[in-house]
Amino acid sequence: METVIRGLLLYVFLMIIFRVSGKRTLYEATVFDFVLLLIIAETAEQALGGEDKSVTNSFLLIVTLLLADISLSLLKQKFSYFGKVLDGVPVIILDDGKVLHDRLKKVRVDESDIMESARELQGLERLDQIKYAILEKDGKITIIPKEQ
Amino acid sequence: MKKHRGELEIDEDIQLESTNWKVQRVAWVLMAFVVFAALLGFTGNGGIGNLQRLKAGDSAEGLEVEYERFLRRGAPAEIKVKLVPSSADSLTDLRLNKDFYEKLQVEKILPEPSGQYTHEQGITYRFASANQPFLVIFYVKPEGMGSLPLQFSTSKKKVNITPFIYP
Repeated sequence: METVIRGLLLYVFLMIIFRVSGKRTLYEATVFDFVLLLIIAETAEQALGGEDKSVTNSFLLIVTLLLADISLSLLKQKFSYFGKVLDGVPVIILDDGKVLHDRLKKVRVDESDIMESARELQGLERLDQIKYAILEKDGKITIIPKEQ
Repeated sequence: MKKHRGELEIDEDIQLESTNWKVQRVAWVLMAFVVFAALLGFTGNGGIGNLQRLKAGDSAEGLEVEYERFLRRGAPAEIKVKLVPSSADSLTDLRLNKDFYEKLQVEKILPEPSGQYTHEQGITYRFASANQPFLVIFYVKPEGMGSLPLQFSTSKKKVNITPFIYP
């Protein structure tokens, strides 16, 4: 029983903590984000298993976590607003060629992040070639270039 | 799906998102509080200035207990007990209530008691000593959760402490 509770508690805790940390926090934008992710995974592992190293415990934990995930996705499907609250919504950060600075500040993104995505995804050279930039739910920035 | 400027199909909800930004900022402050509280020792395991390391009883009266106010389940902790033997006897009995050995896993006692037995009220450790005050350290691992009322008693004095065990 304890394993199930541990699993669910940690699932909910991680969900909340990542939600309030913001989308870009662990987006692996830098090497350090990646290292941070590894450290968090390692720390969470201790809380999950405790001292019980049995196979049964691992199986139980995996089933619990997957079931939590499935239940959540079903809920999100049924109640779309719940999904929006949980996952967030895409945010336009560059609108029709104009950078929305107040939003950039709120989502902790700057113009160089937009340009990074523009180069990577579209091979663009300048900011004024971008029509829309959108910060997606998962923290990625997608780019729609101006028509030539 | 909504259309932005009549061309970009996007499910934007800036009202929800700005609420979210506010919630995030509040949560960051809360996170800072948690870290600060941990530094001050409110989550157990020491802390700046050892503020959460408490003493109960009085060694002049024959029994003093030094303990951490906050313990963590499964994390090693120590409880120090100062005892003064009665002048007539070189053997000193220390009685503890049932919760002590039910909710704490006693890993080691230093010095080893010369005898120990359980009874209805709890457990008694008997220590041999050289007729002078001495210190006993209990190395324990909490197994329960929540408040843990403990009673330490000798033939002369009783000391009650209530550490809290985090999950």
